[in-house]
Amino acid sequence: MSAQQLFFIPLFIVALASFAFSCYQRFAPLALCQDDDRFSNPAARLKKTLRYALGQQRVVKRAFGFNHLLLFWSFLVLLLANGEFLLAGIFPVLRLSALPGVLYHPLTLVFDLVSLLTLACVAVAAARRLFFPPDYLSSSYASARSGEALIILGFIAALMLAFFFLRAAEVALGLEPAAAWMPISNALATGLKGISVTALETLAAVAWWVHALVLLVFINLLPRSKHMHILTAIPNCYFSSLEKPNTQPRETFTHGQVFGVGSVERFSWKDILDAYTCTECGRCQDVCPARFTGKPLNPRQVVHDIKVNFLENVSLLKNGEQPRLPLIGEAGEGCNSEDALWACTTCGACLQACPVLIEHLPKIVKMRRHLVETEARFPGELLNLFENMEQRSNPWGIAPSERTKWCSQLGNRDFVTGTTEYLFFVGCSGAFDNRNKHVSVAVATLLDQAGISWGILGKDELCCGDSVRRLGNEFVFDLLAQKNAALFKERGVKKIITQCPHCFSILLNDYRQYGLDLEVIHHSQLLAELVAAGRLQVTAAKAQGQVIFHDSCYLGRHNDVYQAPRQVVAAATGTPPAEFTRHGENSFCCGAGGGRMWMEEHLGTRINLDRVREALGQGAQTVCVACPYCLTMFEDGFKDEKADSVKVRDIAEVLAEAMAPGR
Amino acid sequence: MTEPKKLKKPRGKARLIDNSCIACGERCMSSCPTDAITMNDAGEPIIDYEKCIGCIKCVKVCPAQALEMFFSPEEQAILDEIARHQGGADDAAAEAEIDPDARQLQEMLAGYRGVWVFIEQTGGEAAKVSWELLFTGRALAQSLGVELSAVVIGHQVEGLCSEAFGYGAEQAYLLDAPVYRHYRTEAYARALCHLIGKHKPEVILMGATGVGRDLAGAVATVVRTGLTADCTGLSIDDHRNLMQTRPAFGGNIMATIMCDKYRPQMATVRPHVMQMPEFVAGRSGRMSRESFAPPEAEILVKVLEVIEDGAGHGKVDIAGANIIVSGGRGMMGKENFAMLQDLADALGGVVGASRSAVDAGWMPGERQVGQTGKTVRPTVYIACGISGAIQHMVGMQDSDVIIAINRDPEAPIFQIAHYGIVGDLFQVIPSMTARISELRQAARRHSA
Repeated sequence: MSAQQLFFIPLFIVALASFAFSCYQRFAPLALCQDDDRFSNPAARLKKTLRYALGQQRVVKRAFGFNHLLLFWSFLVLLLANGEFLLAGIFPVLRLSALPGVLYHPLTLVFDLVSLLTLACVAVAAARRLFFPPDYLSSSYASARSGEALIILGFIAALMLAFFFLRAAEVALGLEPAAAWMPISNALATGLKGISVTALETLAAVAWWVHALVLLVFINLLPRSKHMHILTAIPNCYFSSLEKPNTQPRETFTHGQVFGVGSVERFSWKDILDAYTCTECGRCQDVCPARFTGKPLNPRQVVHDIKVNFLENVSLLKNGEQPRLPLIGEAGEGCNSEDALWACTTCGACLQACPVLIEHLPKIVKMRRHLVETEARFPGELLNLFENMEQRSNPWGIAPSERTKWCSQLGNRDFVTGTTEYLFFVGCSGAFDNRNKHVSVAVATLLDQAGISWGILGKDELCCGDSVRRLGNEFVFDLLAQKNAALFKERGVKKIITQCPHCFSILLNDYRQYGLDLEVIHHSQLLAELVAAGRLQVTAAKAQGQVIFHDSCYLGRHNDVYQAPRQVVAAATGTPPAEFTRHGENSFCCGAGGGRMWMEEHLGTRINLDRVREALGQGAQTVCVACPYCLTMFEDGFKDEKADSVKVRDIAEVLAEAMAPGR
Repeated sequence: MTEPKKLKKPRGKARLIDNSCIACGERCMSSCPTDAITMNDAGEPIIDYEKCIGCIKCVKVCPAQALEMFFSPEEQAILDEIARHQGGADDAAAEAEIDPDARQLQEMLAGYRGVWVFIEQTGGEAAKVSWELLFTGRALAQSLGVELSAVVIGHQVEGLCSEAFGYGAEQAYLLDAPVYRHYRTEAYARALCHLIGKHKPEVILMGATGVGRDLAGAVATVVRTGLTADCTGLSIDDHRNLMQTRPAFGGNIMATIMCDKYRPQMATVRPHVMQMPEFVAGRSGRMSRESFAPPEAEILVKVLEVIEDGAGHGKVDIAGANIIVSGGRGMMGKENFAMLQDLADALGGVVGASRSAVDAGWMPGERQVGQTGKTVRPTVYIACGISGAIQHMVGMQDSDVIIAINRDPEAPIFQIAHYGIVGDLFQVIPSMTARISELRQAARRHSA
């Protein structure tokens, strides 16, 4: 046994044991958390893993992500080289050079080139962090120039340099038969020509040991830093929600039940895996409307806080003791402030941005549930909302019998079991809000013109429960959902049209938890279909000045309906609508989602004003929306900006106008 | 009632008077205790005479007086006989004829006499609604021919009794002990239940406030009687029953609810629904001081600290105001709210605001009316430059009279306003203020 082996083998064993222990410390406590079935449908999971983990689809959405893609794939390739390195350190005969040249030579070439590429990527990454870091790399806890990030980059660079020097020394010593296949090492060896054999041997030994030590330290750093994602990102993608995480899990209401998440072990194991996986890339923070307007919420910090809290409390939790660091309380590392939790509009921008498919939104709602259901602690304005929802099944507490007022001119439009095809689920805004009643009438008129068989539930319709569910009042949501579900079943409802993306998403996605699998269609989809099929023929398409379309979160990001509303606007005005700079999946929330519609916005600046100013900046004369909340928020915003001349219209109104030249 | 009776008064059977049923929807059927009534296809009752026991419930419930009682010739003979013996058909005779169950009920009901009003207080200060209830309670007590009593529970609150006399109570029950210092459901409920058990009132009224709603429900449950919340009208029928009227089905109908088999009859009434009685200083009444007090140790809830609502002193409580002049975005600026203050001063009201006015910093947050502000129910609400977004309207739509002033005739506020003024509020409001001040001065001169 050589002296090198004599030192390396025990070192390797210690390093490996330490790594295994760190992993055990991190992953064994996941068993303390709540169960979550994330094992179904392996084929679909594998596909997702290939796309998002190996293909890095989300990572490369931003230009700089390409650098990460290169690093990631270089890493995979060099995994082989490093594996060989470690193995050869223990059993010197097990070397790739033992392979036949036809295999060994190309491999050598690839390693050489990829190592250079890695070195270049590391240099770019370091330069970005040091000289032109984007804002979103830093949070309250971490700086873009954090030591940790730079050390890791330094380690990778050291590995590559040691690799090159080791090889160059070996080439110079004439020990490498495949020198011709190592362009970079070979060039470096040429530079080393004048050096004595002893010096070359020393260089090789030093390079070898640098490489070996850095590698072992690097492995041990992984589970103890944000670079844990190297271990967890791939499984996290595998275990990610197969459907868009636009719903929250159902709670059961039985005696002795604990509601929501008030303490970190009440999260599911996947929630904690999410927290471990966060790489602090800051993309969620960059797109969060709450964060953007100066609220205390930062989705990245929420995830980070969960991780810190879990690690801080884990030893106590294992012994069945109370956690030391509260999960919800005064803002600080490891603790979420209530203000932060209430600031979320559930717009899903963070979900869309995360390269490793972390599900921020369900975590925030779970913590809200704890506040509402266990602590009864929530912003005062919500008291009214919760009471009205519970007693009158609508946010304003208006008499249910007034639900049919909007269509009093249209005659009896009751849904008739077996005869009516579509249930028009009008929604609370469409039924009670004077402005939104116009939209309901427009939708109804268009449906009639197209000869669609539709009906309403009238006073029996209850609120879909979107706001209360997102606000964490799962109890009231459960009441509403159960009653609505029973009503749909009793009346034999199969197909539903909604004019509100919130009703749309919750009936389509959340109500599946109540055994309902309905064909739910948003009015934009149906209208686009009817126009395309020629059942609605635009007679008076008219230009309305600069028309811009605003994507609603629950239509676009949460349900991928992007084209239908644009097609409707295009048909009605004769030209496709203009686009916001932030549009499609990057659309910016109006500020009313997640129950924020019913709350005051005391912190930071107004989300709707930010969006309204964006519209004004783009010279919009009409903003087209497909959501009652967006409609209200835009109209309010324009009034605040004293830009009353800018019109806000629902796509159905614009289309209805184009159908009726007489009006 | 005490004289012995030999003849049992026959009860007869119910029958339908031809062509008078309006097919109201099976009210007689649902009122029948023996299921003697079924409905035909036309929605008219078919009465099974085998089952009918002559309880008269269906006759009473029929909205069209389409049902009547009839007697067989034999029964009619007995009736005539009784009439002869009694020398006239007086109620006492009929009453004496009723079966033991009914007699027991009559006796139980007769055991309860008097109208009580619970005087709600915080720190020795009474809630205004309690005085309002004394006004209503007085009318009820007069129709029943009984005394009106105030129930005062608290610590060092004796002064409230004389105040209650000033507002019209003839008697006051006082429970004064440290255990009643702060409102706690258990202590107050036990106290009130004790008083009910001891003095047996037939009517108890409370304010539909946080405390009143809590206490009334707890007490009604313990003493096993009915409770009608949020009544808007109270009166007495000719059987000494309290007729409790309140909106039902989302305000679309008024329901009159009675509690004819249990006593006491309990009702809550929201603030500002009833009239405020006139205070007559120096009026006095009988005060009975009660000594009942549950031991502190038995009350599980402890009040550690009372945290005052954000309002505090010097702030205006718009939720309790009788006249509110509210301004919205149409006010154009903070300085213009002085104009609203002038109008409010002339009317003796306060100034409120819509959310946009509060957002703009023109008015403080506690003046905000609406979904996320306060819900108000004043006698008069004047909305100035408020378009009437649903979020605002739900906070003021229950006002007795809504007057809207807006430039835009299409503004939704006009849909719920009783009086709408389309015009420039900068002209309308000053002229209103001027005219009201003029009228006031004229009235003062007149009375002087």
